[in-house]
Amino acid sequence: MSVTGSRRLLAVVAIAACSLAAGSAQAQTRAETLRYVTGASVNTLDPNIPGSTREAFAVSLSTYDRLVSFGRKQLNGKWVFDLGKITGELAESYEVSPDGLKMTFRLRKDAKFQDGSPVTADDVKWSLDRVVTAPVLGKAQLLTGSMTSADQFKVIDPLTIEVTLPKPDKLALPNLATVYPIIINSKVAKAHATPDDPWATAWLKENTAGSGAYKIETFKPGEQVIMARNEAWNRGTPDKSAFFKRVIVQSVPEPATRANLVERGDADIVVDLQASDVQSLEAKGKLKVISTPQYNAVTFISMNNQLPPFDNVNIRRAIAFALPYDDMFKAALFGRGSPLFGATWADGKPPNGVYPIPQPVKLDLEKAKEYLKAAGMPDGFSTTFSFNVGQASTAEPMAALVKESLAKIGIKVDIQKLPDAQMSTQINEKKLPFFTEGIVAWLPSTDYFYRNFYTGSQRWNYSSINNSELGEIAQKARFESDAAKYEEDGKKLNAIHFSEMPQIPLWQPSQDAVMASTVEGYTYQFHRQVDYRDLNRK
Amino acid sequence: MPAVGATLTRAGKRFLSSLPALFGVLVFTFLLMRVLPGDPAVFFASGPNAGKEEIEVIRKQMGLNKPVPEQLMLYLYDVGRGNLGRSMMTGQMVTKDLRERLPASLELTFTALLIALVTAVPLGVLAALRPGSAIDHGVRFFCALGVCVPTFVSGLLLIYVFYYLLGLAPDPTGRVDIFAALPPRQTGFLLIDFLLVGDFDGWWAAFRQLILPALSMALFVVAPLARITRASMLVSLGSDFVRTARSVGLPWWRVVVTYALRNAILPVITIAGIVFSTMLGANVLVEKVFSWPGVASYALDALLSSDYAPVQGFVLLMATVFVIVNLLVDILYGIADPRVTIG
Repeated sequence: MSVTGSRRLLAVVAIAACSLAAGSAQAQTRAETLRYVTGASVNTLDPNIPGSTREAFAVSLSTYDRLVSFGRKQLNGKWVFDLGKITGELAESYEVSPDGLKMTFRLRKDAKFQDGSPVTADDVKWSLDRVVTAPVLGKAQLLTGSMTSADQFKVIDPLTIEVTLPKPDKLALPNLATVYPIIINSKVAKAHATPDDPWATAWLKENTAGSGAYKIETFKPGEQVIMARNEAWNRGTPDKSAFFKRVIVQSVPEPATRANLVERGDADIVVDLQASDVQSLEAKGKLKVISTPQYNAVTFISMNNQLPPFDNVNIRRAIAFALPYDDMFKAALFGRGSPLFGATWADGKPPNGVYPIPQPVKLDLEKAKEYLKAAGMPDGFSTTFSFNVGQASTAEPMAALVKESLAKIGIKVDIQKLPDAQMSTQINEKKLPFFTEGIVAWLPSTDYFYRNFYTGSQRWNYSSINNSELGEIAQKARFESDAAKYEEDGKKLNAIHFSEMPQIPLWQPSQDAVMASTVEGYTYQFHRQVDYRDLNRK
Repeated sequence: MPAVGATLTRAGKRFLSSLPALFGVLVFTFLLMRVLPGDPAVFFASGPNAGKEEIEVIRKQMGLNKPVPEQLMLYLYDVGRGNLGRSMMTGQMVTKDLRERLPASLELTFTALLIALVTAVPLGVLAALRPGSAIDHGVRFFCALGVCVPTFVSGLLLIYVFYYLLGLAPDPTGRVDIFAALPPRQTGFLLIDFLLVGDFDGWWAAFRQLILPALSMALFVVAPLARITRASMLVSLGSDFVRTARSVGLPWWRVVVTYALRNAILPVITIAGIVFSTMLGANVLVEKVFSWPGVASYALDALLSSDYAPVQGFVLLMATVFVIVNLLVDILYGIADPRVTIG
């Protein structure tokens, strides 16, 4: 061995020793640290800021408390949030008056903000007033729960606050458990308010003043957020402070790198891997993979019901029977999710009033041709099929299959891949004839879906459907307190949806959470992120 | 030293004469962003339930509710005061974002360029000394390989081998181990900041983190540098002064290094300057693959979401860097060949 050779060997040994030593020193803190890697980034500490990302929601859920939160239930052996079970978070108890017009919340006596001051009803009022008054995202959300004005929130005593509603609204209480109505330390926030910005939106974007389970240690927008445990916090379901001492939320844009990190044990949990990576990680069996169908989300193919030829219901039906559902499901999601096609409806009626409901459609080119003939276009037509770049990994293979299959009945499809901002603009202006999109509802009830996604002229009515009967039933159902009648309304809505075929629901994609085998307590949440407070390490 | 003075005067003049170009870049980018399809307000109002009202709020925040000429005037006024606007994506001032991220990109690009030069110049010289030999072909093969493998492929391959399979490299995210403490920020260059506080473990951690991304970028630019070195070495080796130097019996290394290489290095400097500027903007893929918090990936994210202010700020920054690099090349020219500064 030459001199340089042995010296090099020495160097390698030295490096190895150094990194081993560094590794063991870190190991102690490592077990108490949760490292979460994600493709997107946290861009604000206040979830109410327009443009805030889902990752930002997850962070604010840990740094702020709400009055109430969702319970959890098991769905096919996996924990998911439970819309039907609302438990207190800052509220020790709550009651809804028999007529459904008044909700009274009694605050916990021991609840403190992170600066040590007690949480009072005044803080709650200020925070709720802010959500319905300031130009923030929560405004439109609370509207869906009939909360629109600051007059509705009343301080009864320092630990009691009352919310009055104009009509009994099923979604009022759940709305208070979403990410927007966070309870802010009003004294701190007011100190940073300015005449131009009375609700301190600018300051709260980069700072927190909450009572949540974690405090912000460092916040680098677009890179990482590091949070430290708030030892005084005791509002969790198990009534104690959160398990992990530190939580690191890090942006790692490359999906393959995220997969490598979690596989090598450097990251603890990730929810947004590519379906192919999830499949191979699951096959290797070293990690825990929890796949939950996103039961509050739907991916669909939409058609513009106001633009020819899609204003003709027979054309829409023709498309519905010309899609290669099984192939699309395999190509786009590797079959990870729950399909919303290929159902059989006895006597042609929807079996229940739940949204979304699997549709009785399957690939049947003969039937599709008949519908084309009935629409007076037996030779087909030309159109464009659009999807956005952000969804390319699933939408691209899907689009190719759509194009191929529709060509068989004479419909020529031009595939259009649009940058995300351009796609949303065109959707907002109702210019796209034929495209794929996905929707999510935080509060997945049938009437909520139909009101938000199938009525009105707003952006979320993707198919631009304008059906007065559907609109009326959806409005009425919102305030329907009789469960049997509500179910009946749901069935009616589902029946109208199928006969009008404004758009074609395809599937509910799975949320694949891949985590170290020692991580426990993962629950699928309405915001489709990880609630760090749920987790612990064996 | 009058030569230094002359060089500096020349550099100053060159800088002043490039100001109109910078202004043009500023206005052009501004207009280009507004012509591009896609309404940023609609994009950023994409939360569930965001309606017309939210879109209007954002439009107002971004100043898009005013006519374009007025927007341009306001923007130029702001830029004149050193304010590049606010990013919707990160919620921070663009100047702050760029200031934080530029050192990361520069550190990476400098290291990559250094690796590339240290590899490419000797390779080019070797190839030129024995044109047509096995060495020459070997160099050519290596260069072709480097150029034809895109940086993100080589990056992913390096990660796969050195991190995933062998476990030699640290996890390929960011500039330093996420659990490690950062040095107080002085220059923004981690390798320098760690040295300034005497934290050698930290320095080593940052260095280890830097190797893979720098290597994958260097691989890509070795080829142009090696090729240009070889070509200009060939010319210079065949010239009269080298023949004279050889004939007077100077040692071969002196002939090669002092006479041939010094004359051959000018085009290499030019190309290195251009390569540097392109790398700084083009390393977006490497930055993405290695989660490197640099300016290029920042600009790409901004572009995809039609976030005007960061894109405009980035283009202006790149134009400025390009001007500065050109100046540096001029100065280096002056040092390598004093004749350049005359006249």
